[in-house]
Amino acid sequence: MAIETGAAPGGLAVWRQSLGRLSQEQIVAAFTIALLIVFALALPGFATASNILGLIRSISILGILGLGMGLIVISRGIDLSEIAIMAGPWCVALIANQHGLPIFWTPILALAIAVGIGFLNGVLVAFVEAPALFVTLAATFVIYGTAYWIAPVYVVYAPQNAAALLFAGRGALFGIPMPIIVFAAAALVIHAFLSRTSIGRFIYAQGDNSEAARLSGVALRPLIVLEHVMVALLAWLAGLVWIGQTGSMQMTIVQGTVVFDVILVVVLGGISLVGGRGSVFSVVVGCALIGTLLNAFTIMDVNSEVQNIIRGVVLLAAIILDNWLHPRDEETARQGD
Amino acid sequence: MLSRRALMGVTAMLAAAAVAGGPATVRAQEESGTKTAHELRAQYDKDLKGKTIAFLPIATGVPLMDEWGRVIKTEAEWRGMKFVIRDPAANPAAMQQALTALIDEKPDVLIVQNPSVTLLMKELKRAEQQGTHVVQMNMSSNYKSDAFVGADWYEVGRILAEDVVKQCGTGTNTSGEVQIVQGELTAAASVDQIAGVMDTLNKDKAIKVVSNQAALWDANNALNITNTVIQQHPNLCASVGFWGIMESGAAQAIRNAGKIDKVKVYASGEGSQLDCDQVVQGNFYKFLSYTATSQGHDAFLAAETLLESGDKAGTKHHEYYTRPVWLDKSNASGANCYAVPPPPQGTAEAKN
Repeated sequence: MAIETGAAPGGLAVWRQSLGRLSQEQIVAAFTIALLIVFALALPGFATASNILGLIRSISILGILGLGMGLIVISRGIDLSEIAIMAGPWCVALIANQHGLPIFWTPILALAIAVGIGFLNGVLVAFVEAPALFVTLAATFVIYGTAYWIAPVYVVYAPQNAAALLFAGRGALFGIPMPIIVFAAAALVIHAFLSRTSIGRFIYAQGDNSEAARLSGVALRPLIVLEHVMVALLAWLAGLVWIGQTGSMQMTIVQGTVVFDVILVVVLGGISLVGGRGSVFSVVVGCALIGTLLNAFTIMDVNSEVQNIIRGVVLLAAIILDNWLHPRDEETARQGD
Repeated sequence: MLSRRALMGVTAMLAAAAVAGGPATVRAQEESGTKTAHELRAQYDKDLKGKTIAFLPIATGVPLMDEWGRVIKTEAEWRGMKFVIRDPAANPAAMQQALTALIDEKPDVLIVQNPSVTLLMKELKRAEQQGTHVVQMNMSSNYKSDAFVGADWYEVGRILAEDVVKQCGTGTNTSGEVQIVQGELTAAASVDQIAGVMDTLNKDKAIKVVSNQAALWDANNALNITNTVIQQHPNLCASVGFWGIMESGAAQAIRNAGKIDKVKVYASGEGSQLDCDQVVQGNFYKFLSYTATSQGHDAFLAAETLLESGDKAGTKHHEYYTRPVWLDKSNASGANCYAVPPPPQGTAEAKN
């Protein structure tokens, strides 16, 4: 705090100024590249094409989920039910498939349920004006309970002969595993949406200052509903990849820490929780950093307790860096200034 | 539903009347058949009928605990006992509260699964002091109660590793490289299993543990870890996972790498249909089942024994260890695999 308010010592201030011109995602990207070089030199077997493909593949699901979370955090919202939306509808659809629903309708049923949940989330946040944090937290429990009530099984296996359904997680195009292609395609679409369409710009406007956005004519309520529907769509897509990869869907992941991992990559990459900041690139570099660390830890066979410590420290470092580079003041930290 | 409830009500009333009026003589006079048979049954009913059996698992919705619950409930209700269950949903604080509330209801037997060796200790002691028999399942606490039912985790790890040594150890002409996928490093089941595994593997110089990671019981984590491991060690000989559902992710990664026929995938677990499917599909080379169905029966047997013995709670310690069963393609079917039941509910006429 002293550094922020007081007259900073010369050297440090210069550093901060020159670093401050870099965005957080640029700093994280530079850090990731540095790590990649270090690991490539120090770890035998790291810098092989197959390991790098494996690395990117392992962060694809996290990345797709991160795109959804990133989008909604940019709008200064949050959706804690994203993992539940990924698991619940797919569990129900796969069970329906086991009871005779044709394979063609299985993903469509999952999609319909997912979008329905997203829509409901959005309506509750936008029109009932309940805080997104609580609406989506409650939605998590409702989805978990309902899915379990309809389909009281712990793990639902996908039909092993449905090649088309499993292709997104299992297949490859030109030697590149499909999860990577799905993630890349989703990232491009969301990037185009956020940066090239007026609705995308409205999302930034809403995150920056929702009152000002509303006064300048942005229809905020339908926009919020749309955002939650898009989160649900991306969750469905992540579920599609997940099912292809593991051949199953597991409801318990809802109770795990996946949602925090998603928030971690989003915040790490520079999508600030106060909204209006960051981009798809943030999600990509956030995922790249986490993926690089996890991959290297696995190769080095680092104890997972130590991995957790390092992950936590990385997140703390990112937040402190963000605070240092972009010191908050009353004017920018408050809504409706 | 309504008629079943009414029927149970009538049964309970009859039971109460029978107990009050000295059941042995009354029934022996009214019913034909051998006298001894009626007397034995009357004694049995006197010990068990109308008693309450409470079940507190770490969470429901898990194949292991749901099967335990299903068996205990079925056995208890057939004997005219009341079955009570609480679901703390894997939340330790909720579990402690649920336990305190359950003990205050003064059940005759309490069957509990410990999430750690210390968390529930004091309350379990209090339960036995007030006269409730405590049966601990699969994971014991530091408090030795009336009975323990479950797997010997160290032995489970040892048996797993002995087969790994047989397939990958000295003289097998393999790389000897072994991957281990643990659950959660702090869970008792993981701690003792890894001890059994490592003690056994370390005896063979040819075995190299190339990866020893925790996947937190999650199939996708196991998949990501194994993805990397199989690329770094393309000659991997075996992968050992501490839970079937989690290890199925590791098996999938090995299958994706086109190595499922070369790498021997091992897992231990409760032995549900889900595990058997993995064995039949060739994802698991071998599966070490600790047979949840038998464990459920053992738990009930322990409860039955305690109630019939007439011993005061906290005076004796009974142990009921589970015999682990190897499943492979030849026997992973039929009675060796149980269908995953829905989470059990308490006895319907629970309102008093």
